[in-house]
Amino acid sequence: MSVVQNNSEKSKWYLPGILGGLNVTMKHLVTNLLNRKKMMTLNYPEEKYEYSPRFKGNHVLTVKKDGSLRCTACMLCATNCPAECIKITAAEHNDPSVEKFPISYEIDILRCVFCGFCEEACPVDAIRLGPEWQTPAVNGGQFIYDINHLAYRPSLKGGIQTHVDDEERHKQGI
Amino acid sequence: MPKCTINGKEVEVKEGTSIIEAMQQSGDRIAHYCWHPGLSVAGVCRLCMVEIEGNPRVQIACNTMVTEGMKINNTSEKVKDAVKWGLDFHLINHPLDCPICDQAGECGLQDQYMEYGKYDPEMAEHKQKKHKVVDLGPTVVLDSERCILCSRCVRFTEEVSKTNELGLFNRGDRTEIGTHDGMPLDNKYSLNTVDICPVGALTSKDFRFRQRVWYLKDAETVCNGCSTGCNVKVYYNKEGFFRVKPAYNEQVNGHWMCDEGRDIYKFVNKEHRLAKGMIRQGGTWKEVHGGAAAKAAAEVVKASAGDSLALVLTAQYTVEEFEAIVGTFVNEFKTKKVFFWINNKESFDSFDGLLLRGDKNPNTKGLLKVLEKHGITATWNDLSAGLANGSIKTVVVAGPENMAAFPDFAERVKELSKAQNIVWMQATKHEALTNLPGNVWLIPVKTFVEKDGTFINHAGLEQKFKKATTIVSEALTLTEAALLLAGKNLAIPASGNEFKPMNQRADQVELEARKKNEFVFRRGSL
Repeated sequence: MSVVQNNSEKSKWYLPGILGGLNVTMKHLVTNLLNRKKMMTLNYPEEKYEYSPRFKGNHVLTVKKDGSLRCTACMLCATNCPAECIKITAAEHNDPSVEKFPISYEIDILRCVFCGFCEEACPVDAIRLGPEWQTPAVNGGQFIYDINHLAYRPSLKGGIQTHVDDEERHKQGI
Repeated sequence: MPKCTINGKEVEVKEGTSIIEAMQQSGDRIAHYCWHPGLSVAGVCRLCMVEIEGNPRVQIACNTMVTEGMKINNTSEKVKDAVKWGLDFHLINHPLDCPICDQAGECGLQDQYMEYGKYDPEMAEHKQKKHKVVDLGPTVVLDSERCILCSRCVRFTEEVSKTNELGLFNRGDRTEIGTHDGMPLDNKYSLNTVDICPVGALTSKDFRFRQRVWYLKDAETVCNGCSTGCNVKVYYNKEGFFRVKPAYNEQVNGHWMCDEGRDIYKFVNKEHRLAKGMIRQGGTWKEVHGGAAAKAAAEVVKASAGDSLALVLTAQYTVEEFEAIVGTFVNEFKTKKVFFWINNKESFDSFDGLLLRGDKNPNTKGLLKVLEKHGITATWNDLSAGLANGSIKTVVVAGPENMAAFPDFAERVKELSKAQNIVWMQATKHEALTNLPGNVWLIPVKTFVEKDGTFINHAGLEQKFKKATTIVSEALTLTEAALLLAGKNLAIPASGNEFKPMNQRADQVELEARKKNEFVFRRGSL
């Protein structure tokens, strides 16, 4: 650790420094008392801060029109994940046009570093980082999110759809 | 012996060598799909273009023979352009569903696109729709859209397996691979078509969707499915073994292996393995460490050393292990009652003409050699008689790994259970073992992928192989078990000096585990 030493004449007198610091404190006290709307602090948890829509919070698995998962279990997110927190088990789907789908998709949210690489790697816009970030749980097991939580938790109101329509694309022959 | 010049290098080849073979020999890279060294030349993919001095147009290398003084070049702009736009044609109707394709990561199209392609597609038409997820037979699934019609699989069934199930149907861009009516792809070598498929059109039902290939590491070993001893690659990661593919060896198996041999990874995995040593003396089973079980058994074995001790061996272990355990019994315990447990005796000498042999042990020759060396002539009848009249009190058994090859397992266990004390060394679990009466010591042993060793195949060829990984850490090799049974301690094995690089210091610390964990990004080859 480096120590920065200020050897100026001024620093030999400790009172000016203290008074300077108190000055800042008093300034904030007075302004906050006079103008409470501009106060920096929030009364958490009654009040919550609105983050930008690009905020990287808890993951969301998007769904198709019929409500099934978009994820094709290609494992690119799991491959790309630097924290190795994604675990997918793939299986064969009965519908030959779907072919492959995840029977289990688990994210260990305590391992996750919220880098968003999974979102970037996904070729079908199946995983996104959503705005949620306050997610307490009572034991460790609850921090491993499964499909049920990632795609269909109550706050998502039945699942998030993307604007890309697979059926249309398939018909167009893309 | 014609001499030719390839990319400026002079190469001498055998008479009748094609240019592509000459390039393989000289180590030059060349794009190709339909050519396979084990199959006939089809010349349909038009990718192996080379420029030959004196010829106005580029030519395919697979179907052009080398002549004296030929000057061949595949690095010129003209060739690169031809390959690039040839690739574009291959990819016109290719669905590009790499994310759900099992071949992704070891795919010929991906590799070659990155190496020779990298163009912007200029095709404005819609892609041709074909059949997906077609069930070709009990082992293989076809996706016609991914197929690039290289006809390798068709040629394989015509030339190698000689079963002629596959064919090309329809014409032009509607061409598809398929099976003839009422003839599913069902032969003993069907999964080789999956190996030689350069794209993900043919996929193995067994491996389908189980792992992405880039999560797997590979190690070369020798198949322990039968006495042919095919050279194989086993693919594994921390979750276990997932598949087996053939490795080229001209003397043994060429490019192929049988479907039966591809199941040998299954019994190696944890869920089928004996993970702990088990001891039962006077009624209840006690779980102990593998080595502790062997040490505990040592007292009993020593007590009955001499004529009341017998050793039963299956031919599923390595030569080194046989040597160690037979040596221990002959020299330390002074018994020559060593018996060879022969399974499926009737079909022992059968051979299907290509690779599969009736002798389902990898090392029968090796065991016989060791037995002969120690002058052992005992037969199974001696053992039966000894067990019946009670002269054999303690039996030490080195049981089979591959239970599928031992249909008579439960019967033999019953026969051997007449002995008072049974020391059973076994890799795989079987309920017949836990039902054994009397005093039993179950010792977990390592399978062929977990140890270094030598197998001697049916033709007497010695094949050395190296350890791939460890699945059951408590398991012992027979060599270790022999040491423990003789009451000695395990010495730390001298790290195989023969495999050490020349420029290594004597005190060099080897980071084997670390090397293995490093990401292997170039996988598979065409």
